[in-house]
Amino acid sequence: MAANVIVWIVWIVAAFACIASALAVVSFANPFYSALSLIGNLASLAVLYLLLAGEFVAAGQVLVYGGAVMVMFLFVIAYLGDRTDVSPWTGGPSWQVLGAVAAGGALLTEVLVVIGMKAGGFLSREQHIGRSFGTPARIGQLFLTDHLLAFEVTSIVLLVAAVGGVVLGSHARRAVDDRAEVDARA
Amino acid sequence: MRAAAWICLLLPLASTLAITACGTGISRRVAGYVSTLTTFGAFGAALTDFAYLLGENAHARSHVTTSWTWLSAGPYHFGLSLLVDQLSVFMMLVVSGVGSLIVAYSVGYMDGEDEERRYFAYMSLFVFSMLLLVQGGNLILLLAGWGMVGLSSYLLIGYYQERPSAVAAAKKAFVMNAFGDATMALALFLLIEHTGQLDYAGVFAGSPHGGAVANLIALGLLGGAVAKSAQIPLHTWLPDAMEGPTPVSALIHAATMVTAGVYLIARTHVLFENAYVIQDLAAGLGALTLLMAGLIALVQTDIKRVIAYSTMSQIGYMFVGVGLGAYANGLFHLMTHAFFKALLFLAAGIAIHAVSGEQDIHRLRGIGRLMPWTKWAFLAGSLALVGIPPFAGFFSKDSILAAGLDRGWYGYLIFAAGEIGALLTGIYAFRLYFVVFTGEPSAFAREHHHAHHGKEGPFSMLWTVGVLTVLAVGGGFLQFAPVWHPLSDWLAPVARPVAEATNGQEALASALAVGLGVAGIVVAWLLYSARRVPVPRASRILEHKLYWDELYDWIAYYPSDLLSRGLAALVERPVIGGSLGAVTGGFGLGSRELGRAQNGLVRSYALAIACGAAILMVVFLAVR
Amino acid sequence: MHGPDVTAYVILGALLFAIGALGVMIRRSPLIILLSVEIMLNASNLLLIAFSRLHGHEDGQIFAISVMAVAASEVVVGLGLIVAMGRRQIDLDVDKLRTLRG
Repeated sequence: MAANVIVWIVWIVAAFACIASALAVVSFANPFYSALSLIGNLASLAVLYLLLAGEFVAAGQVLVYGGAVMVMFLFVIAYLGDRTDVSPWTGGPSWQVLGAVAAGGALLTEVLVVIGMKAGGFLSREQHIGRSFGTPARIGQLFLTDHLLAFEVTSIVLLVAAVGGVVLGSHARRAVDDRAEVDARA
Repeated sequence: MRAAAWICLLLPLASTLAITACGTGISRRVAGYVSTLTTFGAFGAALTDFAYLLGENAHARSHVTTSWTWLSAGPYHFGLSLLVDQLSVFMMLVVSGVGSLIVAYSVGYMDGEDEERRYFAYMSLFVFSMLLLVQGGNLILLLAGWGMVGLSSYLLIGYYQERPSAVAAAKKAFVMNAFGDATMALALFLLIEHTGQLDYAGVFAGSPHGGAVANLIALGLLGGAVAKSAQIPLHTWLPDAMEGPTPVSALIHAATMVTAGVYLIARTHVLFENAYVIQDLAAGLGALTLLMAGLIALVQTDIKRVIAYSTMSQIGYMFVGVGLGAYANGLFHLMTHAFFKALLFLAAGIAIHAVSGEQDIHRLRGIGRLMPWTKWAFLAGSLALVGIPPFAGFFSKDSILAAGLDRGWYGYLIFAAGEIGALLTGIYAFRLYFVVFTGEPSAFAREHHHAHHGKEGPFSMLWTVGVLTVLAVGGGFLQFAPVWHPLSDWLAPVARPVAEATNGQEALASALAVGLGVAGIVVAWLLYSARRVPVPRASRILEHKLYWDELYDWIAYYPSDLLSRGLAALVERPVIGGSLGAVTGGFGLGSRELGRAQNGLVRSYALAIACGAAILMVVFLAVR
Repeated sequence: MHGPDVTAYVILGALLFAIGALGVMIRRSPLIILLSVEIMLNASNLLLIAFSRLHGHEDGQIFAISVMAVAASEVVVGLGLIVAMGRRQIDLDVDKLRTLRG
């Protein structure tokens, strides 16, 4: 009984944090604050994953997303310096904002409706799970047997992204050299 | 015999096609010879058919020859068939005979014109169309020939294309004839509905006797006949048609095309007898026309127009003939009229040709002194026209008038009109003769007259006029009603007369007609030759041709002009022109507004994607 | 463990997705747009894992891990572009980046 209450409390806190941080990402003018809010979002999501018996995924979320992706973001924001954007909620409602809110609301409603209509019956039939559900051993086993293709393809995607990043970075350097040349000649 | 019928019909067509195909490759002379020879060939074929028919029993002389089924639609089948019987052979002979003489005359008359080849192609086309009309074995072919003679008439009236008056006259003729074509077509529709066919035998057997439908059918046919033959009320095109060359006036508007209406009534007389009211109407229209035309001819100053009104008047006599039921008499007058009217036109043509185209009778005054042979030819034609024995008109006209005495009070009325018409004929015909061909030559005539190598005209013109003079003098002896009547006997199996005068009535009619005709000549002599009596001033009504043209202007021209102007302003410019502008404007507006969606902003594209996804989801949910 | 059942997670995930979409459509800085895209991806991850728990099968978690890897790659490329733009002193405003009009 107590365990149930604790689970509920944890869940409510994590959910609120999730939503609040998401809204903060969208609302802050300073991109640095937005990035920090996203880190908060990721952390609360990791908590929710734990509640759903996804230990490996939660760990991966924190390590990969929070540790790598968000660090990259923060590096870039630091590199680019002070590029404060205007907060979207200033300047009164424009057509774009109103339309966006409407579209967002519509999408939200529709997703809920669709899932409710199609899977309403299933949502209450929770399966029983064993102790090894979501453990690293189990995930690793699945990756190397049932989902080997996904595993390999994902690694190729990562390779391509790495190559792309290098290429993009080098192009920028060459452009800077060209510009230095042009400036020198002028 | 079948072959001869087809040859008669197709030779002129071959001539037209050959002249058209060769175009400028052949010389103008050659075109004239081709046209003349083929028309003579058609006459020869018609003679062959005549000879054939002579050798047959009187009641077995009707032959239909069909080459193939021309039109086939549902239960209706119309064949391309020619009918060779007494009536059609008679018409074939007249058409091709007089036609070949006139085409031969044209070789000389049109010499030196700009486009003789076109002229001869059209003439051959006309001869072909007229032969199709008279030889057609069913009413559809008759209608086809009918329309084509109208076309040829239009082409030939408007032959002098540079003259706006000629073009206008051609259009006028065509439009009025189109009206008649329309009423004829309506009559044919009714016939098809009631009898299911259009060949003569079937139609005569199956058409209703009396009643509204029969009257409508006959009225429709009468409408066509009236238009084609220039009777009241569709007569105003004939005087204007004199804009064409003189041989055209002779062939089309005197001898053959305008008599097509008479042929029609004679051929379909069964339908008219079924609707005797309409037949009486035809006789009445003929009587009215002959009086009116005679009156107007008294004041005309153009030599061709006098002869044109004379034609109108004489066709009125023919209509009286077939309207009263004396078919053979009417057709006999058709034949003699072809002879003397063509003679009059062609003789006048020699005079006109000699003074390079002048047609005013006062300017041509006295030209007979300079052209004696032409004068005698014209005199012969005029005497035939007035009906003085032994010239041709005497025999034919008087028997028509006598038939009127056989038809009760209405016939008496028409008889009176015809006799008055004889007086008028004498006056106007000899007014023309005395003014133009007698007396001292006017200064104009003396100055402009030029002889053709010492003769009065080219040889082709002279010999054809000579032949016609002989026919006008002697052609009447074919039938002298009280004594011998081979023509009536010949035509009787095809067109049994309804009215037959007794010998006494014939004598009375002849005496009166001749007497009045001579009186008319005397009056003309007093007025125009001997100058004993001053010429009375013509009333304005007669000079304006009884204001028929003005009436038609008010009825037909002004309303349609107003209507077309109104439609142009109210419908064409705003609606049709505006709709085009609206279409282009609409497209421009639409694309401009749609173009604003492509602004390059990622955010608006993202918004568009989100909205689209939202809408699509709803659509999928709704469709399921 | 007991707790809220899958329905609550579904609502939460949908809400996160909507917020992320909102961010993409409203913000003008490409950096923030990229962050909003990350939110959307995380929302779908949440749903995947929730349903994986419902079915008692780890397939959803495998999928979520692949999504994470792809998201990381995409961020690499996106940030590379933003850095390249920053090097050329281009204004980081999507409203101004419209030369590829289409």
